Amino acid sequence: MSILPSFLPRLFSIRVTTTSLRNAAARSFSTSTPTLSKSLPPRTPLLDGDLIENFLKGSGPGGQKINKTSSAVQLKHIPTGIVVKYQDTRSREINRKMARRILQDRIEEMELGQDARTRVRAREKSKKKASSGKKTRRKYRALAEGGMGEAVQEDGANEVEGIEEPVEIEGADGQAATKPADAEVLGKEGR
Amino acid sequence: MPRITTSLLRKARTIDPFLPALLGPCRDLYAAQNELRWLHEHVEKVAKARRAKGDTLAEEALLRQLVVERASGKPLQYILGTEYFGDLEIRCRPGVLIPRSDTAASVTHIVGLLRKAHNLPPELRVLDLCTGTGCIPLLFQHELYSTRNDIDLRVLGVDVSHKALRLASYNLQKVRNTRQYVDKGRVRFLKADILLDPFADQTRGPLPLKTALNLKGQPPFWDILVSNPPYVSPSACWKTTTRSVRGFEPKLALVPPPSKPSQPDMVQGDEFYPRLLSIAQDVEAKIVLLEVADLEQALRVARCARDLDIFDGIEIWRDQPDSSPDDITDEDGFPVLGQGNARSVICWRGTGALWLGKVTAATSKGDDVQ
Repeated sequence: MSILPSFLPRLFSIRVTTTSLRNAAARSFSTSTPTLSKSLPPRTPLLDGDLIENFLKGSGPGGQKINKTSSAVQLKHIPTGIVVKYQDTRSREINRKMARRILQDRIEEMELGQDARTRVRAREKSKKKASSGKKTRRKYRALAEGGMGEAVQEDGANEVEGIEEPVEIEGADGQAATKPADAEVLGKEGR
Repeated sequence: MPRITTSLLRKARTIDPFLPALLGPCRDLYAAQNELRWLHEHVEKVAKARRAKGDTLAEEALLRQLVVERASGKPLQYILGTEYFGDLEIRCRPGVLIPRSDTAASVTHIVGLLRKAHNLPPELRVLDLCTGTGCIPLLFQHELYSTRNDIDLRVLGVDVSHKALRLASYNLQKVRNTRQYVDKGRVRFLKADILLDPFADQTRGPLPLKTALNLKGQPPFWDILVSNPPYVSPSACWKTTTRSVRGFEPKLALVPPPSKPSQPDMVQGDEFYPRLLSIAQDVEAKIVLLEVADLEQALRVARCARDLDIFDGIEIWRDQPDSSPDDITDEDGFPVLGQGNARSVICWRGTGALWLGKVTAATSKGDDVQ
């Protein structure tokens, strides 16, 4: 057991350098950004019997006598009691489809919790945002380094704090210059 | 109509300076925000098209102008130029009635029943009287061909207004350009006045329906008759229609013309129905679907159809006829289906009952034997 802490970081460092090489090679051929790592399973279909659909209108006259522009759709799922209302588009059919999709997502969130597609997407998005933010910081630090050498220490400290998962190292590493990558690896070893 | 509170106006103004003006026709903040967003999108679309032509556009000024128009009560559909009817986006122009989603619900429901039928004729003929924008023929075609390919559908839309017919032809072209079923089915439009008596002295202007059908080589017999005729009585037009309908949509499409000088208000509102039912008899329609204003009118029309004694079944459909089967109530011997206001009267006879799935094939054969 005592051998493990000293061994693990080295393993990380090897992995990071190989992926960075691979990424560097791949980058020259492809410019497209990677999509979701794994495709999500299809949404579970809703049963018509479980739904109460309501087109939300007043009790007044209808037909030719009024000319309403709202085509809001309210959908209630009886087993879970979730109510979804959608009115963003002028088309009732599109509103119906969107309301159904949102309802499916809500039910999935309830059943799967953190594994639901909305949560997975949100995590994916925040990860991307974090890595691009990091890239931005790195870029400006590199610029500042070119200009004056004072701000380097502070930014470097921030950089190390930001690292949490190896996935991020890979992603950031592929696009960044070699020097910050070394800094990241060192940061990992330091822990 | 209750006054819009100052606090609501103030709240709207903090969100967007254009919103208070839109509260007038919309009455509620969410609706006003939606309409403003749609107007915004429209202006951006117009500006993009102008830029593509190398032109420029003052977007803010156009948006302000459109908001002022909308605040005066002009229907949003006339400003934006289109309205959704089922899955279709139908072009609207002033002078032609804007399609209503309630009508779409009835049409979708009847086609949904027909799609399940096994014994439809190889050529299904549908006659739509008072077609307006042509929305009913186009949605009928769209809905039927979304699942059935074995039927040759022939739809004829009839209207008395030249403006409506031009718009209907435009809509037909537009749907043809965007959908796949270009070659399938035939949709035509025809100018005729269905209130004219074919035996009366011929005057100038539109022809009576029968004469026009004859003249244009259209068949005299039709399987299904659909109509959304003018059905608002003159007093109801003043009392119950909203300002945007009363002030901007054509009277021709809303209020039937008076047939006699001093006629009771209600009779004028129902003017079209006896005529439509007699046309249904003439063209030997197996299914008749007529839109109505409310339950009272629905019952009057249903009684009128019952008195003709040619139909095997008469039902009244509400705004959402396709909701759960336990929504059936009974009014004066007529089953009323669905939820909402009473919206249409449907009558069938002969094989029409089979097409609608109102009787099973076995029972109807039994009837034939008897």
